[in-house]
Amino acid sequence: MKKIHVGAVAAAAAAALVMTGCSTGGGDASSDTVVIDMWAGSQSDTDALNAQLEIARKQNPDLKIELRTAPWGDFFTKLTTNMASGNMACVTGMNSGMLSSYTDGFLELSDADLKTAGIDLADFSAGADEILSNKGTMYGVPFDIATMLVYYNADLLDAAGVAHPEAGWSFDDFEATAKAATKDGKYGFAVGMGDFQWQALPIAKAGQQPVEQDGTLALTDPAFVDAASWYSGLVTDEKVAAPVASASDTGWGENQYAGQNAAMAVDGTWNAVSYLNNDAGFTAGMTTLPSGENGSLGLILGSGFGIAKSCKNPDAALKVLGSMLSPEAQDYIASSGRSYPARTASQPLYFESIDEQFRPQVEEVFTKAFEQVQGQYVSDNWSKVGTYIQPQLVSVYNGQETMENVLESAQQQFGK
Amino acid sequence: MSTTTYTPRRGTLARTESRQALGFVSPALAGLALFTIVPVVLSIVMGFFNWPTFGDKEFVGFDNYVRLFTQSPDFWPALRNTFVFALLYVPISVILSLLLALSLSSRIRGRGALRVLFFIPVVTPMVANVLVWKMLLQPQGLFNGLAQSWFGVQLPNFLADPQWAMIMVVVMSVWQGLGYNMLIFSAALEQLPESVVEAARIDGAKGFRMIWSVMLPMISPSIFFASIMTMITSLQVFAQPQLLTGGGPGNATQPLVQFIYNQGFKFQELGLAAAAAWILFAIIIVLTALQFRAQKKWVHYEH
Repeated sequence: MKKIHVGAVAAAAAAALVMTGCSTGGGDASSDTVVIDMWAGSQSDTDALNAQLEIARKQNPDLKIELRTAPWGDFFTKLTTNMASGNMACVTGMNSGMLSSYTDGFLELSDADLKTAGIDLADFSAGADEILSNKGTMYGVPFDIATMLVYYNADLLDAAGVAHPEAGWSFDDFEATAKAATKDGKYGFAVGMGDFQWQALPIAKAGQQPVEQDGTLALTDPAFVDAASWYSGLVTDEKVAAPVASASDTGWGENQYAGQNAAMAVDGTWNAVSYLNNDAGFTAGMTTLPSGENGSLGLILGSGFGIAKSCKNPDAALKVLGSMLSPEAQDYIASSGRSYPARTASQPLYFESIDEQFRPQVEEVFTKAFEQVQGQYVSDNWSKVGTYIQPQLVSVYNGQETMENVLESAQQQFGK
Repeated sequence: MSTTTYTPRRGTLARTESRQALGFVSPALAGLALFTIVPVVLSIVMGFFNWPTFGDKEFVGFDNYVRLFTQSPDFWPALRNTFVFALLYVPISVILSLLLALSLSSRIRGRGALRVLFFIPVVTPMVANVLVWKMLLQPQGLFNGLAQSWFGVQLPNFLADPQWAMIMVVVMSVWQGLGYNMLIFSAALEQLPESVVEAARIDGAKGFRMIWSVMLPMISPSIFFASIMTMITSLQVFAQPQLLTGGGPGNATQPLVQFIYNQGFKFQELGLAAAAAWILFAIIIVLTALQFRAQKKWVHYEH
């Protein structure tokens, strides 16, 4: 009896191992098929990708092109597994904020590669080449671009009798507006908890990023520390923003703004349309980040496609990548209003997709916001830095800790 | 029919039957192996490796354990937070639910409805519970609003203050878990043997004496069960701090499980996470064994 049991358990375990081994396989395509892997959260996302796929198929009739999709959250988990098992799709989607963890899987793109793909970076927005680059090496070409803006609630500003901010405003204007709009239980501004949301103003004010171009962490650089301390001082000293209630409120500033508790907040261009058409029914407006003595440095962010290092037929993959970023494909995403395209020639189509009453403002602010932008520099452990700082920010906003101390200890811990 | 002629046959039959039985249980065994045994063994192995989600794995022996105890800035605070939470949560939860069960055991009107009411937080999703508590506790929330309009007092920012945050996580957890233990105690109290209770009553026991010397000893197996289960769940606490305080401010409310989650799924350090998980496992096993040893002194199984 005992023997049989042991045997059965061993057999079951062996079967289990075989099964787990199998699950990572599959999806292998013959070398003349180019697989595109991209995130898609809804049917409309998939439809849009299929429309671009059609364009790519038409331009490359000799190639078989297949599309794989997964929702945003699962996409990166799946990509990790695919990379580990050497099963990464030849053309793989990537986002500027995620790239640093995945550079190992992507082919470094050379000028010759871009030529094969039929891409001339001069046709793209300035700074677009930095979006999917890490430490000066380019791993992908973006299809859309984004940056951070200041959004305002026009109704709250009107009620407080404050003029609406205009593109190109200064940090003094920003403070004056926030102060004047802080009354009747409403706050003039809402501080951010997300990396992009809270760092946008300090970066603009300091005129530099908390990381150097080579990936060295520079959180304690005096200019950045000053700007960041000024930022947290909006809550603790100026009292023009509410203290954050909990470290789990990761979207604090954006939620306070959307909930009409604050007149201004910082968020990305990707949310422009949803704020303009907000459900709460307030009149939303937007403007560029304010500028100071050091200009108004913004980050250029975005998503695009790269080529897998393990790809067996990189030339075919590059051609497909070129088609996915061709003027036709870019015109399509622009005119559908899905996102702001990276190709300069396609950008006007995006504005045309926006409701007429908002169009002039969006066009002016977007154009101006992308004038002074820089690709985001990240250190190798950037996600750890963010995870460490975020819960500490709560203590800073509540006056139990200083911004300087938090940046200092983060630098000590992660700057080695 | 003599038994001797059938003995060998019965043996073969038994063997065939056990083989067939094995055929029937093999799906379950395969499932157990695939989803329990393999991951458990794998996690032990992982604990001895530098195991990034992607990239080369490297055998490091006990390095992960050494790193946790000597280098990781968040490990000791996480361990401390877990123990602080358990030390506050277990006694409060057990005592309160016992009191609740006792006060609902007498035949008062609407006790069924009251029991349902106290049990509701157990069955509602944690995310919803936390959302409501956040709305009560935040500075623009109900508590601060009432305190200001009635007494003109500004309450602290509960979830952002290092001391208050942990207290609020405990308070919310007690509220959430109260109904479950109450139900266990209520069931035990309903099952009290009439004869013993009556005999005690004839002897003149009532009130506190009745509860302390008669009822509590008789429901001690339930108290033991409830306190063991409550302790284990409290050492594994994750959802309440993750959702209510995000482990913050700083790492003031980050328990061990959240630490493990962050190491494994945010920082991709699976080896370190596995090592920390086995430390948690060891702590739970040791504490449970100690409780089992101590129960001989105070748990009575005979009626």
